[in-house]
Amino acid sequence: MFYSVVLLSIFGILNLFLGFLKSRAWLLPVTLLFLATALVVTLTDWNKSLFFWNYMMSTDNVSVAFATIIIVSAMLILPLSRFYFPNAAAPVPEYYAILLFSVVGAILMVTYENIIMLFLGLETLSIAMYILAGSDKRNPRSHEAALKYFLMGAFATGILLFGVAMLYGATGTFNLSGLAQYVRTTLVNGASPMLYLGLTLVLIGILFKLSVAPFHFWTPDVYDGTPTLFTAFMATVVKTAGFAALYKILSVSFTGIYSVWWITLAATSVLTLLIGNITAVYQQSFKRMLAYSSISHAGYLLIAVTAMGQTSQSSILFYSLAYTLATITSFAVLILVNENRAGESFSAFNGLARHNPFLAFALTVAMCSLAGIPLTGGFFGKFYIFINALEKGLLFLLVVAVLMSAVGIYYYFRVVIAMYMRGSDDNAVADRIIVPKSYAAVLAITTFLTILLGVAPDLLVRYF
Amino acid sequence: MEEIPGVIRTIPLNYYIFLSTALFVIGIVGVMVRRNALIIFMSIELMLNAVNLLLTAFSSYRSDPAGQVFVFFIMAVAAAEVTVGLAIIVMIYRNTRSVDVGILNRLKW
Amino acid sequence: MVDLSQYTLTCALIPFIPLIGFLINGIGFRHIPKGLVGLTGSAASILSFGLSLYLFNAFLAGGNQSFTVYLFDWITVGDLRISFSFLIDQLSLLMLLIITGVGSLIHIYSIGYMKHDAGYGKFFAFLNLFLFSMLLLVMGSNYPIMFIGWEGVGLCSYLLIGFWNKNTNYNNAARKAFIMNRIGDLGFLLGIFLIFYTLGSVEFTEVMPKAATVFGVDDGTVIAITLLLFVGAMGKSAQIPLYTWLPDAMAGPTPVSALIHAATMVTAGIYMVIRSNVLYTLAPTTLGVVAVIGLATALLAATIGIFQNDIKKVLAYSTVSQLGYMFLGLGVAAYSSAMFHVITHAFFKALLFLGAGSVIHAMSDEQDIRRMGGLRRHLPVTFATFLVATIAIAGIPPFSGFFSKDEILMHVYEHSPVMWVLAVIGSMMTSFYMFRLLFLTFAGTFRGTHEQEHHLHESPASMTIPLLVLAILSAAGGVLGLPEVLGGGNWLAKFMSPLFDLSRQVRPESFTQTHLSHSQEYILMGVSVAAALLALGAAAVLYVSRKAVPAPEGTRLPALQNLIYNKYYVDEFYNNIIVKPLLALGDFLYGVFEFLVIDLIVNGVGKATNGLSGVFRRFQTGNIGFYIISMVVGIIVILLINLRGFIL
Repeated sequence: MFYSVVLLSIFGILNLFLGFLKSRAWLLPVTLLFLATALVVTLTDWNKSLFFWNYMMSTDNVSVAFATIIIVSAMLILPLSRFYFPNAAAPVPEYYAILLFSVVGAILMVTYENIIMLFLGLETLSIAMYILAGSDKRNPRSHEAALKYFLMGAFATGILLFGVAMLYGATGTFNLSGLAQYVRTTLVNGASPMLYLGLTLVLIGILFKLSVAPFHFWTPDVYDGTPTLFTAFMATVVKTAGFAALYKILSVSFTGIYSVWWITLAATSVLTLLIGNITAVYQQSFKRMLAYSSISHAGYLLIAVTAMGQTSQSSILFYSLAYTLATITSFAVLILVNENRAGESFSAFNGLARHNPFLAFALTVAMCSLAGIPLTGGFFGKFYIFINALEKGLLFLLVVAVLMSAVGIYYYFRVVIAMYMRGSDDNAVADRIIVPKSYAAVLAITTFLTILLGVAPDLLVRYF
Repeated sequence: MEEIPGVIRTIPLNYYIFLSTALFVIGIVGVMVRRNALIIFMSIELMLNAVNLLLTAFSSYRSDPAGQVFVFFIMAVAAAEVTVGLAIIVMIYRNTRSVDVGILNRLKW
Repeated sequence: MVDLSQYTLTCALIPFIPLIGFLINGIGFRHIPKGLVGLTGSAASILSFGLSLYLFNAFLAGGNQSFTVYLFDWITVGDLRISFSFLIDQLSLLMLLIITGVGSLIHIYSIGYMKHDAGYGKFFAFLNLFLFSMLLLVMGSNYPIMFIGWEGVGLCSYLLIGFWNKNTNYNNAARKAFIMNRIGDLGFLLGIFLIFYTLGSVEFTEVMPKAATVFGVDDGTVIAITLLLFVGAMGKSAQIPLYTWLPDAMAGPTPVSALIHAATMVTAGIYMVIRSNVLYTLAPTTLGVVAVIGLATALLAATIGIFQNDIKKVLAYSTVSQLGYMFLGLGVAAYSSAMFHVITHAFFKALLFLGAGSVIHAMSDEQDIRRMGGLRRHLPVTFATFLVATIAIAGIPPFSGFFSKDEILMHVYEHSPVMWVLAVIGSMMTSFYMFRLLFLTFAGTFRGTHEQEHHLHESPASMTIPLLVLAILSAAGGVLGLPEVLGGGNWLAKFMSPLFDLSRQVRPESFTQTHLSHSQEYILMGVSVAAALLALGAAAVLYVSRKAVPAPEGTRLPALQNLIYNKYYVDEFYNNIIVKPLLALGDFLYGVFEFLVIDLIVNGVGKATNGLSGVFRRFQTGNIGFYIISMVVGIIVILLINLRGFIL
């Protein structure tokens, strides 16, 4: 993991130099090769428990798995950039470099052993995202998204840091095991308001990045305004890394004071589920619907964190993977539809099944997965999380989650209905979207994996 | 010459906590009530500096350098944030001739 | 004991052969020649049927020992291990035979029926996928596999209803079916979670004995579990208030209606209740609810059926009504009688739908019975088989429907004579609307256009052979459960008896032997047969002698007046005593129920969600200041909650 962080940072800088080359043709394959290298290096850490940099970072199988999900999602999203920048002057090498740096940030977030590394990872990832959100320089929507994300993100960082300072004041350490030690030994004498305050503020700082209600307000606007390619990145990599980070800090350091933080997480997850799912019903834009859907998925994942059982981490892992795959599919199809039919609303998908059965099929599988219909990965993701909630006796959360997943079906199937049941108004021949090979490959992979996870979930889960 | 941590310790720890909490809250209020993007941004910086002060104070009282190291990281990251943030604000100013966040509500509902 | 390993492959192949058929037709439907597509699809189904028969024989030879076939470990979560395995016992074998047997006939029929359809390959692919899911549903040895199959059949039903996706109405129907089914599935899923939560297992063979020891009779938890499972059954088996999707589902191709919406999928709810019979026996309260809802559905659907003029709609409401009878049977703990009705219903209702398909085929896609009439001469085979099915469903001996319905009615009478009276009224209405359908379609003179008359023809052999086979089954299916009083041994009840051993232990009183004397049984049978014949007479007088034809839409009143004007004493009798009250009751139920309950409850939930969404959306103002203030308020609230110990 140490080497993959170093390598990716160097590769990112190398990418900037590649920008001097005349030919852009090599850029994408080379960047993918960089990521593949990092992936191989990451996988060599499998079954090793290692610490790096004087207990700043640690790896175990779970963090390797999360890092793998992150790198693989980056590798699946990058090919979508192939025809994304029509403008020849677009600084594509810079975008790739920023994406690589953000992957570094995400990896730090899943392997940190010290809160300093968590902060650095979070900020590396976030600052990269601020830039990418505003990368469509001529589009005022993109500006607005960038500014909103930036101001609110920086505000949340401030909250997080104040919490970290309080934790430090109470315990005198930034180290996760040091914090755990403090919780185990010193805290027996009595509760410490400074520690509780610090922990709560740190949680809020992380929950903001995960778009958990009531800190979700930035999500729909930012997802909506950001260029779709980068929205896909935000919705997958940021969320996976954020949940890994949240789970790690709570499970390693603060299981001893479960009673202090579980109410916060339970309450916010109920609120998130309600707001995410119910508001999504009203949306007319597919992209905005996906933004609310990502809020609601944060709610489901939060249930697994709240349950904090033996199998919570494998549930989070499984759910993140299923969610990531389905989300990448959705955004990939959205990019194609938006480029060819000029629209992000549900009606832009009308009659897609007739002209592009493959696209329609892939998107249907993705929607089924997001909605949690069996034989897709999303079903087992929800299933595992519900089992976690049951084992912990969080029946109330379970009921809300099940009811809200029924609401989810309604809005996820709107696009399926549009594709299969409605005819398009325009000329049928012109409607056919020509799917570039890179898109077809990505869609084939994500769809296959989604179904595979839905048929044989044990392939993945047995390792954790 | 007296060592700096010793100088810091001449003021009780609680005073540092109160001061930085006050600064932090001022920052939050500033973010909440102001509409000028630059001033909001300055308020956020104020929040970060309150944290820096607090960390330094804790670090001195515990004679543990980790807190001060963290302060350096915060400053470096804040500098990066300033760069990106100002770039975004300038980009918006060039388009709308305004840095008022109130008029930015094209994305909603 | 049976050697289990020897049957593993057979059991695995039964569901997977249709899956292979689906893959072949689904992937290659553009490239495989048309003839081969139908052959592949049908062959998959027939092979499964053959294997099921083989398995059934082996089961009988092995002394009726139920066994579990383990395939592989499927899901592991902590202590929970769910294996992918099949439970082979009396119940799953009976369902297997129905599904693959009737399924094969319908596949063969579809070769002729769908010949000219552009989506021929796709159709067979979906049909095979349906068979696969349905087989998983009935073979699975635990609730999750059953749920996977349950969802799978829902999905296939959705795909097949919307098969002709050009017409918006069809699509709305598909959507309605899907959403209503999902509401039901939600209950089912919650029920499974509750089972896991309280009993720590989801395997049938572990859940049932545990439930028998853990729960007392009418324990609150077991009532909750059974009610939640029943909500699932309501959705899938179209019971009040989730029944409206089934009539709308008739938008799909007719073989689909026959297979999915009559013979197999809609009976999944009944299968599930019988599978969980121990839980239900432990919860008499739930059984009461099941009985009342079943009876209400049976009556309501029958009254609505009287007014339908679309040949498939009549059959759809009749299906809803028959399903109601099955639930009524379950509600009085007559599990094997309900299963008996499932079997006979699969025969005669599939036959009715296929016959209707044959009629529609001959009439160039006309479905309105007011434009039919006199088809007897043109479609002799269809007429003959349709007649058999009508007699069977009307409950006139010696055809199969009489025996199964009578067995249910007998148990209902033991339970509550009032319910029995209502049920007999329902079966009278069944007989009335079925003969009305038969007479309007096949008797009298042709009322369609000349062009249609010119095209009238009997269907090809691939369609009529399944009809004939089903007709034989509908006529003779009663022998499976010939009651003792008529000299039979009720083979079915004896065969299924081991399934209910545990239920008998936990609550023996619900299984007490019949205390009716033979003469009482004869009287009950006589009454129900007389009622059916009376209704037959009413229909004959109205639609054959008086040649009444339902008025076109919008002119119901004059037709009513026309009906009342009657010269014959018999006619007046029928009119005043039977027809008028029936019409009034039907109108009333239809109006009040459809618009109040369905609109208020089912649609109301949807509207409320939508409205709430409109409100929530307003919070997303787009203004950063507002967002930050909300966040700060959120932070303060969370801090207050977490630090309440220090502040107060």
